[in-house]
Amino acid sequence: MAGIWIFAEKREQALELLNIGRRLAAKTGTAVSALLPGNPDAARDYIAHGADEVLLLPPLAADQSCEAYLPVIVEEAKTADPDVFLCAATPRGKELAARIAARLETGLCSSCIALNYDEGGKNLEMERIAYGGAAIQKVTCLTRPVMATIPPRTFEPVTAEAGREGHIRKLPAPPPSRVRVLERKVRTRETRDITEAKVVIAVGRGFEKPEDLALARQLADALGGEIGCTRPISEENHWLPQELCIGLSGIQIKPDLYLGLGVSGQIQHVTGIRNAKVIAAVNKDENAPIFGVADFGIVGDLYDAAPKLLQELKRGS
Amino acid sequence: MPTIIACFKWVIDEAYIRRGFSGDLDFSSVDYKISDYDRNAIEEAVRLKGSHGGSVIAMTVGTPEATKGVKDALSRGPDQACFIADADFNKLEPSQTAAILADVIRSRIVNYDLILCGEGSSDLYAQQVGARLAEHLEIPCISFVQKVDIDGGQVVAERRVEEGIEIVAAPLPALVTVLPEINVPRIPGVKDTLTASKKPVMTIRKGDLAPLGGARLQTVGMTAARMDRICEKFGTEAAEITRFVDALRKKAVIS
Ligand SMILES: Cc1cc2nc3c(=O)[nH]c(=O)nc-3n(C[C@H](O)[C@H](O)[C@H](O)COP(=O)(O)OP(=O)(O)OC[C@H]3O[C@@H](n4cnc5c(N)ncnc54)[C@H](O)[C@@H]3O)c2cc1C
Repeated sequence: MAGIWIFAEKREQALELLNIGRRLAAKTGTAVSALLPGNPDAARDYIAHGADEVLLLPPLAADQSCEAYLPVIVEEAKTADPDVFLCAATPRGKELAARIAARLETGLCSSCIALNYDEGGKNLEMERIAYGGAAIQKVTCLTRPVMATIPPRTFEPVTAEAGREGHIRKLPAPPPSRVRVLERKVRTRETRDITEAKVVIAVGRGFEKPEDLALARQLADALGGEIGCTRPISEENHWLPQELCIGLSGIQIKPDLYLGLGVSGQIQHVTGIRNAKVIAAVNKDENAPIFGVADFGIVGDLYDAAPKLLQELKRGS
Repeated sequence: MPTIIACFKWVIDEAYIRRGFSGDLDFSSVDYKISDYDRNAIEEAVRLKGSHGGSVIAMTVGTPEATKGVKDALSRGPDQACFIADADFNKLEPSQTAAILADVIRSRIVNYDLILCGEGSSDLYAQQVGARLAEHLEIPCISFVQKVDIDGGQVVAERRVEEGIEIVAAPLPALVTVLPEINVPRIPGVKDTLTASKKPVMTIRKGDLAPLGGARLQTVGMTAARMDRICEKFGTEAAEITRFVDALRKKAVIS
């Protein structure tokens, strides 16, 4: 039952991959197989959402993480010989995909954002971001299977279809892994999902201390929006949680309005706001790169401009 | 005492890439640098040497021009460098780079304990070389690491996963790919640059390697990402702020 294979750690990611999988399978007249780690109860659900076959990966031992499935997946792939193998680009998924690709001696398109068959319908052309967001790289894979990792939320989830049928097959349990998990610290998601927000106020390193983020928050409240940030704010200063980091290694957003405060506009950050309807910024350096990619930019100190903006917004409404 | 290999890539500094008139990439005024996260990998290797002793080898695959990068790397603390150079090595894709590194490590570096790589290179950010290299060498791989230490015969690391953080252990030798949060890379001083030029560099040519396999991934296009915006600037005087807010209202992005 070769064809399109998908692997994701979570259901919502699997539904996005199934969406691509169904589209590719329809083009090439093949079937879609979904690898399902852990809970076998979801198999019917995956079939309803487009899987023709569900390959059940048995639950892991307590000290194992999802890359432990590597030998099991590789063995099965060697027999089934899929044409295309898509994995959700989560941290575990990216590592697993690269290692599967190494063992299957094939190519892998990392963080693929678009994939389409060429005119002849033979080669799958895949797009990804390069040079921190300055370029779009288009690649094809010359070996089998064609592999790609897909960042979560890049594609719409597939909708369920009534009456779909499919096979369910159980794969062997993975052997013990050399990498052992000693401890897990689950991150509590204290923040809202800003990928759907209409207005996002982005906090950059122009802010001097964490208390000052109140300025950004007040603006967000006045505009019915949310707060996001640049990587140094979440990863170095730890002023905001990492799920609010916008950009290449964070999230992609598409609000009506993005307003960056004290954000320099390095390409890795800007690539996450490419789909914003309007980009605005406040930066005291008139040569900051953000002004080259913003619709409206205030050249000035954010500590001066933000309170004035707030006042103006209150006055106008 | 551990022998640590830190892999790095000498890359185009993306901040200098311009968009050409026809949507191509204009590389005419670019500068080069050690890929950002690889600077963290080198720093971490040197830090581990500081607490456990041993030695650090900085290793890169690149074009002969990357010799500048080799000097830069050595000025950051490693004891020696291994430079695998060929004029064709600017077109390698991840599977080829990993195969070359594996070949050299297997054949020329006896008894290494730990390999450190950056999580991804700042030019193509494919995040594959580390993981693929571990597979070639058949050693454990730990990626997305923000904290690492050696404890007896094993490596203990804190890595990022979807749900949060996992603390994991693996027997040595092992490969670890690091995130930038792991440390703050040093800025080499004049003295560091001087000592760097006295450190040994093992240079390996394409002809010294096993025949290189073909590319599995082929780049068929590379175009500048489009970002056409209005680029209007405003001041901070009251009238300017009003004009700015009006502009947003006209675009109907705020009410
Ligand atoms: C592989 C890779 C991936 C990356 N991924 C991401 C990513 O996903 N997201 C991300 O954000 N970054 C990412 N980065 C980092 C990115 O390159 C930049 O370093 C980062 O975005 C800069 O953040 P910043 O704008 O807050 O800080 P800075 O670049 O330090 O900019 C601060 C700005 O604030 C301005 N400023 C200072 N004081 C004031 C004031 N009082 N009023 C107004 N303006 C002021 C300054 O003029 C300056 O322009 C990545 C880097 C690499 C190499």
